[in-house]
Amino acid sequence: MLSSKDIISTLQMVREENLDLRTVTIGINLTDCVSDDIKTFKRKIYDKITRTAGQLVATCQRIERRYGIEVANKRISVSPIAVVGAPFNADQMVEIALTLDKAAIELGVDFVGGFGALVEKGMSAGDRALIDSIPQALTESQRVCSSVNVASTRAGLNMDAIKRMGMVIKEAAEMTAKDDGLAAAKLVVFSNIPQDVPFMAGAYLGIGEADAVVSVGVSGPGVVKAALERAMNEEEGLDLSRAADVIKQTAARLTRAGELVGREVAQILGLPFGIVDLSLAPTPNENDSVGEIFEAIGLPAIGAPGSTAFLAMLNDAVKKGGAFASSHVGGLSGAFIPVCEDLSIAGSAKNGTLSLEKLEAMTAVCSVGLDMIALPGDTSAEMISAIIADEMAIGVINKKTTAARLIPAPGKQAGDHVVFGGLLGEGPVMKVNLGNQENRFVRLGGRIPAPIQSLVN
Amino acid sequence: MNKVLISVLGSDQPGIMAKVASVIKQHNGNIENLSQTLLDTVFGALLRVELAADDSAEKLQEALSHSFAGLDLFVRVHPWNESTTDWHQHKPETQPYIVTAIGPDRQGLVAEMATALFEHGVNITNIQAIFKGGKNPMDNLMVFEVDVPRSTVMDALRDALADIAQRLDLEISVQHRKIFESVSNILN
Repeated sequence: MLSSKDIISTLQMVREENLDLRTVTIGINLTDCVSDDIKTFKRKIYDKITRTAGQLVATCQRIERRYGIEVANKRISVSPIAVVGAPFNADQMVEIALTLDKAAIELGVDFVGGFGALVEKGMSAGDRALIDSIPQALTESQRVCSSVNVASTRAGLNMDAIKRMGMVIKEAAEMTAKDDGLAAAKLVVFSNIPQDVPFMAGAYLGIGEADAVVSVGVSGPGVVKAALERAMNEEEGLDLSRAADVIKQTAARLTRAGELVGREVAQILGLPFGIVDLSLAPTPNENDSVGEIFEAIGLPAIGAPGSTAFLAMLNDAVKKGGAFASSHVGGLSGAFIPVCEDLSIAGSAKNGTLSLEKLEAMTAVCSVGLDMIALPGDTSAEMISAIIADEMAIGVINKKTTAARLIPAPGKQAGDHVVFGGLLGEGPVMKVNLGNQENRFVRLGGRIPAPIQSLVN
Repeated sequence: MNKVLISVLGSDQPGIMAKVASVIKQHNGNIENLSQTLLDTVFGALLRVELAADDSAEKLQEALSHSFAGLDLFVRVHPWNESTTDWHQHKPETQPYIVTAIGPDRQGLVAEMATALFEHGVNITNIQAIFKGGKNPMDNLMVFEVDVPRSTVMDALRDALADIAQRLDLEISVQHRKIFESVSNILN
């Protein structure tokens, strides 16, 4: 017999606190589709994706009914296209993106990720072609997401690639000017990218992964906030040690729900189960915000002094709870702090409590990085590269994943409002210090060497 | 084989089980299994007892009634021949589900829900009701733990329950038990 307390707390998580399975993502390896003929390659990847993930949406809907938990997104991640499509030029890369888009629409999945390259140490012809094609590919497609890994702790920072990505982001935003630069919101630059992320825009299937694998991304900032609020109301003398415990236990429960669903989807589809990625990923809705957790713990707002310390604790407690609940936790696992996707964070950015500089400091202890940040349209490509370089350096030195998803909104100035719609949300344009100036440091190019792994201080 | 079922009902107070068990012991009976529950302040117990060969349900009833004299309790002893129903003899393969109904208490709620479940071949294994009133939905909740046979068409069951939900202004959900277990039991 289940206790009524257990039943009520599970019901509450689903009904009131926005527990959802943010995504069930099938990773599909495309290395066996390789061809130097573009038509053959396109046909092969379309066939393999639609064959492997043909039942994904129907299966997720079946599981949703069975457990009464919404699977908010169904997604696909593929092998890095710059690797499997290495023989092709930039125009052909755009055709590949549109083929991925067509497959996603045919299957009814929300996003397909993996239109990306791994260039932390250098660029091949395929990498170069893919990166050149990104602005057009993301403008013409609807559901394709792109990620480019430009740095790692073992390789250092590829500043040539970072310099190029500043231009690519700028170009992508300008090609979608009427949508506030939407294409750039589907593009993310990484250091130390994990091979098994189910979340977008960074999802891709690493070369070391299986032929096809099911992974799950669980979210639930609302559940963590509610648990903290309950504990603070009910427990006298609750201190931060106890608060960390509450977060950890909540994370474990969320992870369990995710693993249950992920394993069942995998079993029905006859595919191996990969990982659960428990990430507090907000949506632009009340009660589904990471920023609100900061308020629940007693900070005046996210961005106030104390925010970095609490974020460090939150991120760590989420990881510990997840790792305890499942042996296969992977992806990003932690707390995201995207500006435009989170009502409370966007609010702090709008009223000046949260600056780009404070956000950068906080990314040193969050699970990803500078995420969904709208910048003034006149921010120079070099300055965008410089922001990326700063963010990548934090990841490289701290042996962690960091990322930058920056949207220089054409025609917009600091303080203006941008709207991307859906999960991507809306928010203020943030000020960039000296943003429209040149940056000769970035222009030097080359590589910033990999850091020493001893003398740790 | 000389078995009886004993039911004990009434206001909860210390010593009820002590009295029942002592009388059974004096009669050289053996308690094979028992379950007790509390409904607010009302006590209820069910015992299955193997009696001595020369004993009878009537004699035990008499002894228990005597022992409980003056206490506000109802005790009944029924002869029991271990016959089982069709359901137990041909128990179909089932899946455990939790059906919850959120909304204010009203006359006929349990009857409607239980009848719909019965009509779809579903067996109720436990019911819990929480009616504290007020606006918090979790304070006005009925929980049915049920076994659903493989032959039950889940969509048809859901439709029938959705119809009740609409008529009685309830929010009814049907979820597999595993989701509650995996979220609640972290250590297993």
